[in-house]
Order: sequence, then C-alpha cells, then structure tokens
Amino acid sequence: MQHYFRKTTSAAPLAVFRLLFGLMLFGSIVRFWGKGWIAELYIQPRFFFPFYGFEFVEPLGQYTYLLFAVCGISALLVAVGLFYRAASVLLFLSFTYIELIDKSTYLNHYYFTSMVCLLLIFLPAHAYFSVDAYRRPYLRAGQIPAWQLDSLKLLVAILYVFAGLAKVNSDWLLHGLPLRIWLPAHNDVPLVGFLFNYPWVPLVFSWFGCLYDLSIPFLLWNGKTRPWAYAAVVVFHGLTAWLFPIGMFPYIMIVTALIFFSAPFHLALLRAISQRLSIPTTFLISQRTYTYPPLITSAIQVTFVIFFVFQLLFPFRYLLYPGELFWTEQGYRFSWRVMLMEKAGYAQFTVKDQLGHRTIVNNTEFLTPLQEKMMATQPDMLLQYAHLLRDYYSKRGFQHPAVYVDSYVALNGRLGKPLINPATNLADKQDSFTHKAWITPFNDNIYGF
Amino acid sequence: MINSKWKQIGFICAFVSALWACSGSSSDTPTPTPTTPTDQAGSDRKAMLTNLADNIIVPSYTNFKAKFDVMLAKSDAFAAKPDNASLTALRQAWVDAYTDWQKVELFDVGPAEQYTLRNFFNIYPANVTGIEEYISAGSGTFDVPLSYPKQGFPALDYLINGLGTTDDAIVARYTTAADAAKRIAYLKRLTSQMNTQFTTVYTAWTTGGYRDTFINCTALNAGCSTSKLVNGYVLNYERYIRSGKLGIPSGAMTNGTVATDKIEAYYKKDLSLTLAKTAHQASVDFFNGKSVKTGQEGPGLKTYLNSLGAKDSSTGTSLVDIINKQFEAVNQQLNALKPNLADEVKTNNAAVVLAYTQMQKAVRMLKVDMTTAMSITITYTDNDGD
Repeated sequence: MQHYFRKTTSAAPLAVFRLLFGLMLFGSIVRFWGKGWIAELYIQPRFFFPFYGFEFVEPLGQYTYLLFAVCGISALLVAVGLFYRAASVLLFLSFTYIELIDKSTYLNHYYFTSMVCLLLIFLPAHAYFSVDAYRRPYLRAGQIPAWQLDSLKLLVAILYVFAGLAKVNSDWLLHGLPLRIWLPAHNDVPLVGFLFNYPWVPLVFSWFGCLYDLSIPFLLWNGKTRPWAYAAVVVFHGLTAWLFPIGMFPYIMIVTALIFFSAPFHLALLRAISQRLSIPTTFLISQRTYTYPPLITSAIQVTFVIFFVFQLLFPFRYLLYPGELFWTEQGYRFSWRVMLMEKAGYAQFTVKDQLGHRTIVNNTEFLTPLQEKMMATQPDMLLQYAHLLRDYYSKRGFQHPAVYVDSYVALNGRLGKPLINPATNLADKQDSFTHKAWITPFNDNIYGF
Repeated sequence: MINSKWKQIGFICAFVSALWACSGSSSDTPTPTPTTPTDQAGSDRKAMLTNLADNIIVPSYTNFKAKFDVMLAKSDAFAAKPDNASLTALRQAWVDAYTDWQKVELFDVGPAEQYTLRNFFNIYPANVTGIEEYISAGSGTFDVPLSYPKQGFPALDYLINGLGTTDDAIVARYTTAADAAKRIAYLKRLTSQMNTQFTTVYTAWTTGGYRDTFINCTALNAGCSTSKLVNGYVLNYERYIRSGKLGIPSGAMTNGTVATDKIEAYYKKDLSLTLAKTAHQASVDFFNGKSVKTGQEGPGLKTYLNSLGAKDSSTGTSLVDIINKQFEAVNQQLNALKPNLADEVKTNNAAVVLAYTQMQKAVRMLKVDMTTAMSITITYTDNDGD
C-alpha cells in the first residue's frame, strides 16, 4: 500500500481532464442558460422540492443567474487553471447548490459532475499546463502521485459498474424493459427504424448495455483493450445521445473516458495544443513531482478513503428497505441507476378538514409540468407536496387539513395502480430515512439488483 | 488484444450469471410485456397520422364548418330581421353547430393549438356582466384570456336563450330595447370573430399545407404530431369533458358544492347531456380510429397500442379492450342521465358523480397506461432526462 501511494505518474492526463471537463461544464452552463432553463426550472416554479436534510438550500430568485454565472466562470477558470483552488471550490459549491435546489431536476450525471468537482478540489490538476503554473513556475510539476489520478478513474469505474449492476434485473435482461417501450418510438428513423419493432432488438440493446457498463472500466484501464474500449464508449454514448433526450451526459462520459489513456497520448495532445497556441514546448517539460505537505497528503488520503467507502456502500442502501426498489424508490437516487424505468403517474390530491372544507387540488396551480411529472411517481416527493398543500390550505381557512392522494402509477409497461394508500392522511406523515409504510405493495417481482 | 477483451466479456458473463443465480429468479412470474412480435403495419405512425388527418380530423372540421356556416347565415338573418321565426332558426342552427363542435374540440394540435381555438369557441360559464359591458361599450377586445368567456358558443347561448323567459321577450331585446342596435352589433361581432378564428384553423388544414406537415412529423418527441395529438386528446378528455362537463358542475371536484351555472349550454338547459355525450363519443371514436366518412375503423391509437402489444400482464387483456370497456362504463352512466344536466346535478347528483367517477378511471388509463405504453410524455417540458 505504502508502495502504491509513493508511485508517481505523468501530470498530463489530469491536466487534459481538467481542461476538457471545465470546458464541457462551461458549455453546459451556457447551453442551460441559452435554453432559458434557469428561469424555467429555478425561478418560475412557485415551489421547490429540496432534498431530505438539505432543506436549507433555497432558490435564489433572480440571483440564480448570478449563481450560474459564478458556476460558469469557475468552470472556465478550472479549465484554464487560473486561481485553480479557489475556482474548484467555487465550482463544486455553486454546481452542487444548483442541483440541490429542486429534486425534480435530479439527474445521475449531475451527481457525477458534483462528485468529480469535489475530488478536483483536492487534486493538483493545475500543476501542469495551467495559467497558474505559467504565472507561478514553482507550482509546475510534470509528475503527480499516481493515486490522485487513479482516484478519478476509480470514480468513473464505480459509476459504470454500479450502472451495470443496476441493469442486472429481470425487467432489463429478460423482458428488455424499458427499452422495449422506448425503442419503437424511434421506428420512423431512416434505415434502421424498422428494427425497433422487433422484440429481440431491445433485448440485444439491454444485454449490450449491461455488459458494456460492467466491463468498460476494466477494458479502458487495460492498455491492450483501450482503443477498442474507447471506440465502444464513443459508439455506445453516441447511440444513447441519438436515441434518448439525455442532454450532455454522453459527451461528458466520452470526454471523461479519455482519462484512462496513457501519458504519451495526453502529452502528444498537449503538445499539439501548445503548437496551436504558440506556447513554448519548454512549458511542458518539468521533472518535478507535485507534493502536498505530508500532513495534508494524509488528510486527503483519509478523506478519499472515506469518500470511496461511502461511494461503494451508499448505492446498496436500498437493501435496507422492504419492497421493490423501482416501485418505492427508497434508495434509488445517488446510486447510478440510469435509464432503468419507464414510470408514469397521475396524482390527484384531496385536501379536507373537519369543518367540512374539501377541495381537489389542481396541480398545475402549484407545480411546473416537470415537477408534477416527477412528483407523481416518487413517494418522497408526493409527501413533500402533500405537506406543501397542508401548509398552503391551513393558511387559507382549513383547520388541520388532511391530505389524501389518489395516485396511479405504471411501471415498465405494467398496468397502472395506486402508489400510495389512498386512506393515508399524508399531512400527518413525516419524511425520514425509514421505510414509508404508506406506499402500497408492488405485488409483482423484479428479480436482481 | 481482441482475445483479452473476449476473456473479459466471458468473465463478466460468468459473473452476471452467478449474480443471476444468487438473485433467485423464478420463471413463473407473469411477463409484464408482450411476447408477440410488433406488428409493423400497426406501428407505422405515418399511416396512423394519415388516417387520423384524412378520415377523422379534416372531415370533422368540414362537417362542423357546414353546420357553422348555417349558423352564421341564420345569425345574419336574425340580425337583419329579429323575430320569433329567425330566432328559432338561429337557435336550431346554434344547437347543431354546438353539437358538432364537440367533435372537433379534441383536436388540440397544429393550428387549433397554435391559435387556441377552444378559447374563442367554448369557454364557459359565459361572463354575463362582461358581455353586457362589451355591449354597452360597443367595443372590447376578444383576444385576452378575460374575454374568452364573453364569446363563442356560451356567449351565443346567453344571447339567444338567456335574455328572457319567452321568445317574445328575447326578440324584444333586439328590437324595442334601448340598446337593441348595440346588441345586434355585438352578435355580429361575436359571430364574425368565431368565423375568423375557425377559418384560420380550417384553411391551415385544408389548403395551408398543415395536413402534410402533420403526417410527416412522425417522431414521438414533444414537438411532433403524435405526441401533441395525444396530449391534446387526453387534456380534452380530462379537463374539458370530465371536469368541465361533469366534475365541476356536480361539485365532485369542489367541496361538493353543486354549481348549476357552470353547466355547458346553461341557458338552453336541455342540451347539456347531448353535448357531453357527443364529446365523449367523439373521444371514443377517435381512440378507435373510426372514420367520420365511412364509420370504418382504420389506423389509430387502438391499432398502434395493439401493435405495441400493450396489455395487462396479469390477465392478458389488451389495454385497448380495457380502455374500451371503461368507455362503455362511462356511456352507461351517461345514458342513465336526463337531458338537462343543470337539473340532474341538483336532483340526481349521485348519478352525475358516478359518471364523473367512471370518466376519472378512463382518464388514468389514457393519461398513464396509454401514454406510457406509447412512450409519450404527457406533461412535457423541454428538459434532459437520464
């Protein structure tokens, strides 16, 4: 172990990653801004769904633009490696804050981005080919401790393997679900569209996707298989980008996978960039190894160990809950479960009190279409919304309003049925990490992870 | 190089199989999805859209236009010479046009969606105070949301059925009353406004090229025909049939407070059930792809769902049959009602609520089961997913 921690590696891969990841994030922010999503998702909604334990994260109104500006600028600063430490801290904080505002915008790749930003704070990604290293030559280092680069690779590997494990279930592997529902939607594309009507095609896609996720980190890590593996990365993520509305995720992964490439590859890349920008190639030469003071090194190592133990255990927390994970979604988020479900729902709330007040809630008065869609299928959000309604109506003359929901949810092509016990007064129920007994049983089995 | 990759894959396969064995999968669980091959013809969205456009949407608009044109002519005749005969003729033409309107309101796609045709035709209850203000002012915009309940069929209902208890009394408002001229002017503004709005939509479909745009936009994303059509269809069923015609007036959706004044065609009284039934049947026929011209079923939501093999995995019943059975249950409840829903919500409220409840069940099937099987997002927002 001590031997491993003493190993060093070229600083080039981390520098390239910093550059590309920063630019990618900057691009994402610009895209998000350009599409008007800042207002649509973070300013216009009347109510938000904070994460359990993060209720202090509040929307910032018009200042949300400022938050995004901070995020975008720090992404750019990280990319070029200027004021790197401060920029990486700001980037992590601002990006994470944005993602914590509203659960309905939760995406696994945002979580991934957040976690990468967190790691970047502790990594010397500015030691090489950065403005910081240019301005302060004493920072410049051609070598960094190998474990620091490996930690990023490990995070990527964890993402893929867990995403793959999550696909090891009977709906995915035996029934080709939900791809069997999603692929026919593309049966009108030229040349290959007709294929999507055949039931075996989604099964092939499912198995390929599962094996891809489970094996790709190892194939990327291994120098011999790497070029093929990378070609697979490009094809796989290209295909998902083409077929599904998953935004920047495929591109982020295509760029991130470059981190597995060798030092000579990255050095060649940086040399090419340097030539283009007329930067003297001497800038790329440094024999120094970047080192933190011993105490800080130890502190970072301990932090990283804790971080990765958490990363390895947290996705398994669902085992602590009874019931079908896809149905209850207890322990579903932050576990790299991607594209596993076609879940649609409908939730009609009734608020009443003992004085005889009674009303059926029009969800569009309170929620955006996206929020309503997310809320209708996720029990914790149904509860949050019920509490919101309770508080809203108690301010409007209802005395201790009771809130009931008539919910109807369809999962992976099964006929819809109530997700929540309609006799449960949700106004009384508290959210917690314990099992939500008021979720109706799934009464079907999905085997596997 | 290749060798080692296959070794890896082999290892992973073994690993997966091992996990599989451990997870204890048994084979006697019901299959949640169809095992039958997808029917290529039924899943052809272009054929479906073509049938829907050529045999349902455009002919429905044409049928409506015929009735609507008669109503416009009768309205002009009444305005030129208001008397009991011209009033009766206008009223009958209004009934016919309003009834046929129920067969086109569900097409909330393309020009109808773009120009929000419904807003100019059927937002009720009519705002009587607002209408009278517009009449005495002799002007007033028809283009803002506040003005929607001052126009369309509900406003006409008030103007030809709601101004007096007898025809004589109503005609007097257009002949001897002090504001008779202004009232006639308003009637004319109203009908010409409706005509303008409808002509825009109708022309877009018939000669404006929208029909081709419609059938060629075959993708299933939020911007294309199938998705917009289904969204508009489900929205119409949920909000404008279930809630508007029954749920709100019966009090089923509000405090239990009966609101007779919120009945469609409130002043005509005995037309409301006919309108509700017509609208419901139009939704059923549309679902089944039934041609307005021949009565034959063609490619539509029904054939599309069947081609996807959508069914209840536990019983094997197809989703199409489940939905049609539910439509039938709604029809039974509607058939049990008397023509005047304003009376029914007061004296026979439970029966109206029953019809509402059956519709509510149909809403869930259309909004959740149907759309999820078709992979259509019902309340879409232009955002990423993962």
